[in-house]
Amino acid sequence: MRVVVRNLSKAYGFLWALKKMDLELRPGECVALLGPNGAGKTTLLKLLSALLYPTTGEILIDGQELRQGSSPLRSSIGLLSSNGHLYEGLTLKENLRFFNSLYAKERSPREIEETLGAVGLERWADDYVASLSSGMKCRLAIAKWLLIEPRLLLLDEPYGVLDGSGVDLLEAYLDRLRQSGGIVMMATHHVSRILTICSRALILHRGSLIFDEPRQDPWESFQRTFAEFLPRGEKWNS
Amino acid sequence: MELLKQTGWLLWKDLLLELRRRESIFAMFFFGTLLLFVFHFAFEIPPDKAAEMAPGLLWLAFLFTGTLGLTQLFQAERENHCLEALLLCPLDRAALFLAKVSFNLLLMLMVELVVFPLFWVLFNLTSWAILPSLILVAFLGTVGFCVLGTLFSAVTLKARARELLLPLILFPLMIPIILATIRGMEILLRTGQFDEAFSWLRLLLGFDVIFLTAGFLIFEWVIEA
Repeated sequence: MRVVVRNLSKAYGFLWALKKMDLELRPGECVALLGPNGAGKTTLLKLLSALLYPTTGEILIDGQELRQGSSPLRSSIGLLSSNGHLYEGLTLKENLRFFNSLYAKERSPREIEETLGAVGLERWADDYVASLSSGMKCRLAIAKWLLIEPRLLLLDEPYGVLDGSGVDLLEAYLDRLRQSGGIVMMATHHVSRILTICSRALILHRGSLIFDEPRQDPWESFQRTFAEFLPRGEKWNS
Repeated sequence: MELLKQTGWLLWKDLLLELRRRESIFAMFFFGTLLLFVFHFAFEIPPDKAAEMAPGLLWLAFLFTGTLGLTQLFQAERENHCLEALLLCPLDRAALFLAKVSFNLLLMLMVELVVFPLFWVLFNLTSWAILPSLILVAFLGTVGFCVLGTLFSAVTLKARARELLLPLILFPLMIPIILATIRGMEILLRTGQFDEAFSWLRLLLGFDVIFLTAGFLIFEWVIEA
């Protein structure tokens, strides 16, 4: 899978949330999407998942333009959001069964149970999602994408609600996805954490892409650029 | 085929959620029954005037009760950003429309199943022979209400004060459907002749087909706007 973003802009009324962005995402990349609040990170993720439509520009996935509606391209895009995107009145099993059916994935009850086991939720399989903690909901969202198997996985601040083993679980999944040629893009404020797993970092500021480099060690250009958004005297890895 | 499968799954989810919460159905039952009682005792309609006035009052009750249901129609999708989750799926947006129309129709029919016999008893109606025709007119009117209501419930989904906005937009557009249903039922109750009400029935059927087709075609733009 290859994602090409050309001249992408998004305006909300008179406010430009994203300005003329050009970007290419290649198979096997794990991209850290960084920047202060209001930089346009979530807007970019929503544009890439076709939840929003660009004011100008286009997004091409394997040469095909991502358009409004029920494009078959959607089956290869996943968005793991802290909002959960799960029905609180359905059980864990029902949620997984329901969403897999909408992605035309026939999953047996055993596969669903095994996946719930893999994310440590097998004990709560028949409980309602409403009774889960935020971290458990995030684990369930991981289980959902494990079963749906998207090739492009976008993540919006997943670290905030996960505990240590949850983070390990997520990172193991992201690593497997990358190894199989998938693309991962994660927007987060946990900079030190994402820098250990990413292969490239993007920094957005007021809707513009001001930094785009593959990971290096040491990475002085990143430190210099990112330091501008930190309070005086604070370091990004502190 | 895929469209029907997706519609089935979406309807299954809505029915399961409603079965567990029972919020909309109880509120609609209670409100519909209450309105009929209020109308009955407030107006004290003489038996010879019942055929003329009762259909209007019945549909006023259905209109208010149905609007109550419509405000809750996308409630599950508003929680936890579930609408986003549905829009992320490679789902035919028409399936979402059909599922919501079917769910809304099922709710309305369940309410009508209780309210309609009550209406029959309270207004001393005795024309048993025309009951199937009356049910047919009421059914077509309900379908029209559900189709148009679902479409505009989606239009106002992201609006502020949507509970206020929905009836303001919906009621004027609903006039042809409500008028045709009330006139059709009134003619049936007054004359007992199906032929005389047939033109209203045809009009209702026409509206249902037009709005269902329009909703099917434009729902994608409405829901993703």
